Amino acid sequence: MTRRQRPPVLVRTDDGFALSLSPEERTLLSSISRQLAGALGELGDAEQQLPTGLCRLFPVAYPTDPLAEESYVSLVRADLLAHHRNALSLLARTASATHLAEDEAEAWLAALNDLRIVIGASLGVTEDMVEPSPNDAKYDEWLCYDYLTYLESLVVGVLADLLPPTTPIADDVTPDDPWGDPPGDLRWDGTPAPPDP
Amino acid sequence: MTVGGDLRAQTGTAPSVDLSPATFDELNVDRPWLVIVWNDPVNLMSYVTYVFQKLFGYSFAKATRLMLDVHRKGRAVVASGPRERAELDVARLHRHGLWATLEHQS
Repeated sequence: MTRRQRPPVLVRTDDGFALSLSPEERTLLSSISRQLAGALGELGDAEQQLPTGLCRLFPVAYPTDPLAEESYVSLVRADLLAHHRNALSLLARTASATHLAEDEAEAWLAALNDLRIVIGASLGVTEDMVEPSPNDAKYDEWLCYDYLTYLESLVVGVLADLLPPTTPIADDVTPDDPWGDPPGDLRWDGTPAPPDP
Repeated sequence: MTVGGDLRAQTGTAPSVDLSPATFDELNVDRPWLVIVWNDPVNLMSYVTYVFQKLFGYSFAKATRLMLDVHRKGRAVVASGPRERAELDVARLHRHGLWATLEHQS
């Protein structure tokens, strides 16, 4: 018995990419991107208190300087919110498309990453996750997360092939890490990670 | 005509100069601001490498090294420069879903 292979999801064309997904995949992508775009649509542009599930889409720039952070948020929050919403809305609109322009594929990548971030945060994803059991109450969410991982990897692969040639001096202007290895595991904001239970 | 001199003697009032540490921080152009990306368990390694290449024009090798620094050490400096430039870089990284912060180099 031979197993039927699925056609490549994204194939480069003269003016973008041919997109091949099953109806079920398209329905899923349309549904979850619409849900997240809707949740973001309920936020005010300058809203300071974000729902826990959406915080991760709005990272902190100045973790130890509240005044600088407030100024940063006032500068970028509206733009960042619009960026997320636009990418997710485009994914919802084009989930049934058979062709994506290059900029649409980039918006897909942004939306897929946003969805993975929000679902990953909801699942409490860590570096050392074990495969979830079908008995897990959030098993469907895990399947969705894994599917998004698969699809995002494909989109990254095709878009990486389109990157312009490396800037000749870019590699030389970044300072080396001034700290060396950190003293222990650190969380993203630089505070020590809690010990393993 | 002299340059400088005692301003108080000339105007009768002390000049208003902000000598707070924050002001010195802003003026200290020798200490660049660092753009730091922190490890997180969700973003794909291939995606982080791609973002470093796309935003900063790094080679695949350089972007991969920085990504691995983030993954293994928990953080990496991916760019540095004047505050405005560094803040713009952080905002661009945030648009791509990466955990990026600013720090004034000590």
